Amino acid sequence: MSALRDNWRIVVLVVLLLASTVALFVPGAPPGTAANESAGGEQLTNLQYGIDLSGGARIQAPVVGMTAEGVNVSVTGEADAQQAIADRLGVDPLDVEVRAAQQRGQNGTVEVFDENVTEAEFRTALQEAGYQPSTIREGVTPETRQRMVTVIQDKISTSALSGGRVQDVNSPGGRNFISITAPGRDAEDLIEILNERGTVRVYAVYQNQSTGNWTREQVLGQDDFRNIGNAQRVDGQPQVPVVVRDGAAERFQDDMAGAGFGNGASCGAGASDHDSVETINATCLVTTLNGQPVFVGGVEPSLGQSFAEGSFATDPQFVMTTTSMQEARDLQLSLQAGRLPADLNFENGNQNSLSPALADQFRTNSLITGLLAVLAVSLVVYARYRRREVALPMVVTALSEVYILLGFVAMAQYPLNLSHLAGFIAVIGTGVDDLIIIGDEILQQGEVGTARVFQSRFRKAFWVIGAAAATTIVAMIPLVGFPLGDLSGFAIITIVGVLIGVLITRPAYGDILRNLVLDE
Amino acid sequence: MVAFEVPEVDYTQYSNRQLIAVPLAVLVVALGVLAVTFVMTGSPVALGNDFTGGAELTVQSSEPISQQRATDIFGDSVVSVQQVSGQDQYIITFDDSAEIDTITTQAEEADGLTVLQSGSTSPVFGQDNQRLTVIAVGVAFLGMSLLAFALFRTFVPSIAIVISAFSDIVIPVAIMNLVGIKLSLGTVAALLMLIGYSVDSDILLNNHVLRRSGGFYESTYRAMRTGVTMTVTSIAAMTVMAIAATLFGIELMASIGIVLVLGLTADLMNTYMLNVTLLRWYKYEGVSR
Repeated sequence: MSALRDNWRIVVLVVLLLASTVALFVPGAPPGTAANESAGGEQLTNLQYGIDLSGGARIQAPVVGMTAEGVNVSVTGEADAQQAIADRLGVDPLDVEVRAAQQRGQNGTVEVFDENVTEAEFRTALQEAGYQPSTIREGVTPETRQRMVTVIQDKISTSALSGGRVQDVNSPGGRNFISITAPGRDAEDLIEILNERGTVRVYAVYQNQSTGNWTREQVLGQDDFRNIGNAQRVDGQPQVPVVVRDGAAERFQDDMAGAGFGNGASCGAGASDHDSVETINATCLVTTLNGQPVFVGGVEPSLGQSFAEGSFATDPQFVMTTTSMQEARDLQLSLQAGRLPADLNFENGNQNSLSPALADQFRTNSLITGLLAVLAVSLVVYARYRRREVALPMVVTALSEVYILLGFVAMAQYPLNLSHLAGFIAVIGTGVDDLIIIGDEILQQGEVGTARVFQSRFRKAFWVIGAAAATTIVAMIPLVGFPLGDLSGFAIITIVGVLIGVLITRPAYGDILRNLVLDE
Repeated sequence: MVAFEVPEVDYTQYSNRQLIAVPLAVLVVALGVLAVTFVMTGSPVALGNDFTGGAELTVQSSEPISQQRATDIFGDSVVSVQQVSGQDQYIITFDDSAEIDTITTQAEEADGLTVLQSGSTSPVFGQDNQRLTVIAVGVAFLGMSLLAFALFRTFVPSIAIVISAFSDIVIPVAIMNLVGIKLSLGTVAALLMLIGYSVDSDILLNNHVLRRSGGFYESTYRAMRTGVTMTVTSIAAMTVMAIAATLFGIELMASIGIVLVLGLTADLMNTYMLNVTLLRWYKYEGVSR
């Protein structure tokens, strides 16, 4: 047992090596992966590959839009403000987003997502509508960007693109943009998917009194909505408010009254139980996206009355109520039929696509490059020390550093790109450097007689290593937070690698050397 | 197999002035190159597509693609054509007037061409990258300098580290300008990595000379023996990486490799001529002042 205790650093190293093996090779080991699935990765390992190494596309683009901040608007006034501002600007109401203050003491925002609107026009429109914005700036609010991310994620996952990633990236002191990565597609395909629209239809389902047959009558189409509100909770009820376009409202109310919804209806069917409106046999209002029911609900008596009396058309809005907030958000997305809240400005972005063939070639070749670099390091180290028992543990330790780092990457399901591989090579480089410092310090200052002498020399060596590691980390840290291409990944790999090295592998190498020199 | 021993340099033969002249002269020349580049182009370094905006295609072609042929296919936005050695692949670079959709379509329609990779950066993005890069390099350098001062707490040894790291970055950038390697995000990563590598051997040297018992020359030799081994090992690894990645057409790794080889070589000179001299002056003259 005391041997184990004396060599606890080696024990830790071995344990981590085993853990890395599990993370790398045992299917389903990393959290969030299923045992039989290998999304975007290779069958053999749990490593995830980014587009550089598996093929695919990445698009980064800012969101088209302008934001007026400090607009004094209440929650109930959102819809009216939206219509008023859209009318004045001559844009689709969907291209205007009014957000009331979320908290007392704050002011709301108004965004316009049309690139043809100038700042001056926007300001004038706001003032004419009776609002005094404090500032107007380029770009959209974080809420809108977050919704963009959700919508795009949704689109990408429904188009069977596994392993796609969508992120809202903030560049410090600068612009924000949306970054979309999709394996297995090229940029053109990806843009096509982003522009794809679904079809929304609303049906009234009712029973013919005399024949007893169920009728499914379409009462609203995609273009009949003037506005789809944000999913919200009112009196504890998650709901999505919708506004029907003026021209369609009257027809809609007549159809509904004619279908017998004049006194309201309790539905009794659920959207999740049906794959098509055809199987629903209950008096319901049914909304479908691409034929799939996304909302099935009854009609409140008061709403039914307004259909019958014809008062609905003067204020053509109603809410679709769901059982959970998540459902409400999904419904909102469905009703928008995959319409992005705002456009992406591809002109001012950047895009990159890589064919799987080239990615494959990169993967193999960068592996060969890495192995050659390791070989070069090994040869130099051997030529320098001419002692296998010193050089071999050095190379093995440096490699185990990389191995643990790979395990970490597999565990975190971090998609590997070329820049990360460069980081790996950087880690081998600094790793071996530090092992040389330890080796020289211990071996080249005369005989090591006792464990205490060894300890003191090891500590001296460690001061240099720690200082050097600290500088490397300091030099890399600015890159972590900056959206400079893949560089943040490179920096993260280097920093984690250096930490693994300083905390685990390099101390373990010290223990290995101690066993070697004290045995002699 | 070749044995590799770090030779013992007899520093007593050379005066401080003689020793420091070489690295300072190289630094001045390098800064001169940057100044000339700045006057000629408005930027001290030749900027690549990542910073100016532009597009790039990697295509597979049954026939060789010359600059002329590329211009015939794509028009005047072609900046350069580079063959991936030993393969029928070509990397074609375009300036920011190229539309990525258009050139991709043109390539797909041309005979015998398959598009393997396409990428474009808008000038707006490029501008942003420039700004962020300047901040990133600045913050990294400042952080490193503060750390150096915190570690040694004396002016001369700390400033020696800072000057040496500065020179280690400036020299490879100047050489890049001369041989026509443009600054990309990959080379920026390499330059930041150089800060880390460069400081390693400097800290080692300072540590041996200032914090250990023993004479100056003996300490210096000990530090050199370890430090040179370290740097040479890294140079070996990076040379292999640069050559292999160039042959394989992996631009990013190739440029990181080349910049590090240049920088590490500059570091050998700076550490063991500039830094040693400053330390010797500090040890023999500076301390007594």
